[in-house]
Amino acid sequence: MTGTGGTAGTSTGATGNIYDLGYQGYDGPRVGRPRVALDLLLQTLRAAYGIGRGGRAKIVPFLMLGLSVLPAVLAVGISALAAQAGAAGALDEASPIRHDTYQNLTSTLVMLFCAAQAPELFGRDQRYGVLPLYFSRVLTRIDYTLARAGGLFLAIFIVTVVPQVILSLGAILVAPDPLTGLQKDLPEVPRYLLVSVLASALLGGVATVIAAWTPRRAYATAAIIAVFVVPPIVVALMAELAVGDAARALVLLSPGDILDGVNAAIFDAVSPNPTVVAANLPGWTYLVATVGGTAGCVLLVVRRYLSVTA
Amino acid sequence: MPLVATTALTKRYPGGVTALDGLDLALEPGIIGLVGANGAGKSTLLRILLGLLPPTSGGATVMGHDVCTAGTTLRRFVGYMPESDCLPPDTTATDFVGQMARLSGLPAAAARERAADVLRHVGLYEERYRPIGGYSTGMKQRVKLAQALVHDPRLLLLDEPTNGLDPAGREEMLALVRRTGTEFGIAVIVASHLLGEIERVCDFLVAIDAGKLVRAAPLREFTERTGNLAVEVEDGAAALGAALVAAGLTVTVEGRTVLVELHDDRPWDLVRDAVADLGLPLVRIEQRRRGLEELFR
Repeated sequence: MTGTGGTAGTSTGATGNIYDLGYQGYDGPRVGRPRVALDLLLQTLRAAYGIGRGGRAKIVPFLMLGLSVLPAVLAVGISALAAQAGAAGALDEASPIRHDTYQNLTSTLVMLFCAAQAPELFGRDQRYGVLPLYFSRVLTRIDYTLARAGGLFLAIFIVTVVPQVILSLGAILVAPDPLTGLQKDLPEVPRYLLVSVLASALLGGVATVIAAWTPRRAYATAAIIAVFVVPPIVVALMAELAVGDAARALVLLSPGDILDGVNAAIFDAVSPNPTVVAANLPGWTYLVATVGGTAGCVLLVVRRYLSVTA
Repeated sequence: MPLVATTALTKRYPGGVTALDGLDLALEPGIIGLVGANGAGKSTLLRILLGLLPPTSGGATVMGHDVCTAGTTLRRFVGYMPESDCLPPDTTATDFVGQMARLSGLPAAAARERAADVLRHVGLYEERYRPIGGYSTGMKQRVKLAQALVHDPRLLLLDEPTNGLDPAGREEMLALVRRTGTEFGIAVIVASHLLGEIERVCDFLVAIDAGKLVRAAPLREFTERTGNLAVEVEDGAAALGAALVAAGLTVTVEGRTVLVELHDDRPWDLVRDAVADLGLPLVRIEQRRRGLEELFR
């Protein structure tokens, strides 16, 4: 002991000078588990948009959000110009940018958003070994999983619903009489809310499952894109080659096609997606596929986090 | 109520590795060293105490809370510093530690304040606003300690806190651990395979080997049985040996090194005087440990 006394003495002295500021305990309030889970959910939502992560982290999410909002802004702008030119409402039916077409119009952007951000939210904690620090605090593994997944869901929901809200606001403000505009648009609101919720849940769920199993970011992004892009091609090919109920049901293996089907069913419209038209399945099958697919994804992710080493 | 109590605690990993084998412990608050070779079951024990890992059989309580059923309750007042890397490189220490405070249930404002306080305590100042990716190993270890302290725990579990640190860094980390235990009044369990480090900070030692308890006793009882003082001189080792034997010490001469058996502090002064009297060129004096296994016998 005395042998190392010399060095220990000086360094204790040095640290004493630096650290001797008195330790204060914490006797203030502590919030409960639900509140901590909500905090993590909101923190995940912020992280999904790169808030608090530096400039570069914001580029992709805000680019995707901007691009998905762009058609809505253009549509509202053009119909406002038309109204000024005295042709109000003339474009309403002719415009390809409507509540019932928006899902199909921007689904690729939403998928890219998932592919870019889900690995960031789910791979990061595993890649850098942060999970033991999360799991040694107040939240359980299931709390953590649901809070993270909930944050991603909200982030995607924003991308899908904001353009629809802009279309609604445009419809109200551009109409000669705002009240008529509101009346005309109001029935569409629950429909697009439902479509946005379902699209965010299914795409977010699929992306989460892949990201949770693939800590390496680049691989996860590639895998998510593949899962969104490859099935529609396969399904379209199969539909060309085979005829019959089994082949038609294959469309339910492709997340993008399922959501096109859901959208057509909810808006009671004909889908612009030829695969969905060719499959000619009843609308409820797409709803069941969406809800079932999302539930399956959540179960898989929870299972993953219950067993992952931390 | 003991700080930590385990009864016949056993952990078998799938694949047949037995990490803990019928461990019975009752530890009172203080600074407790948990020593054992790599793979002795130290980390497994800490992780079970946190409720991160379920035991295969047997049970454990931390401050009276059952680790299997009251995990979320007991984790509120336990801080954990894992052995592995656990810091995201793209976040600043302030943000990260603040976020960890919130995950322990501190409100936002308190979390920020505590994060700043605790980072200062561990010796991080301006650096704490920079991303962790640019930190040295020593700074990262400090951040890891800070996140374990930020919610003002009653018990701190440290897994190899000096891992990867240079000698100066080790000294500072050990001094911090010691201060945490003595001045902050927080009970500490430090796991390490380096007995020499542990004994400088701990009051109580628990030695485990292959998942079994070897010995649990106050530090004093361990050090009484330790070692040797190695005195290395350029030449004249034989003469020094003879002088020390004449002074009543038990001595072995190995080349240029004279090994003196150490039972109390007396040999330190005798060695100093003998070297000075003979005018020998002294290279080093160091206290040598016997091997862990021998020590635990």
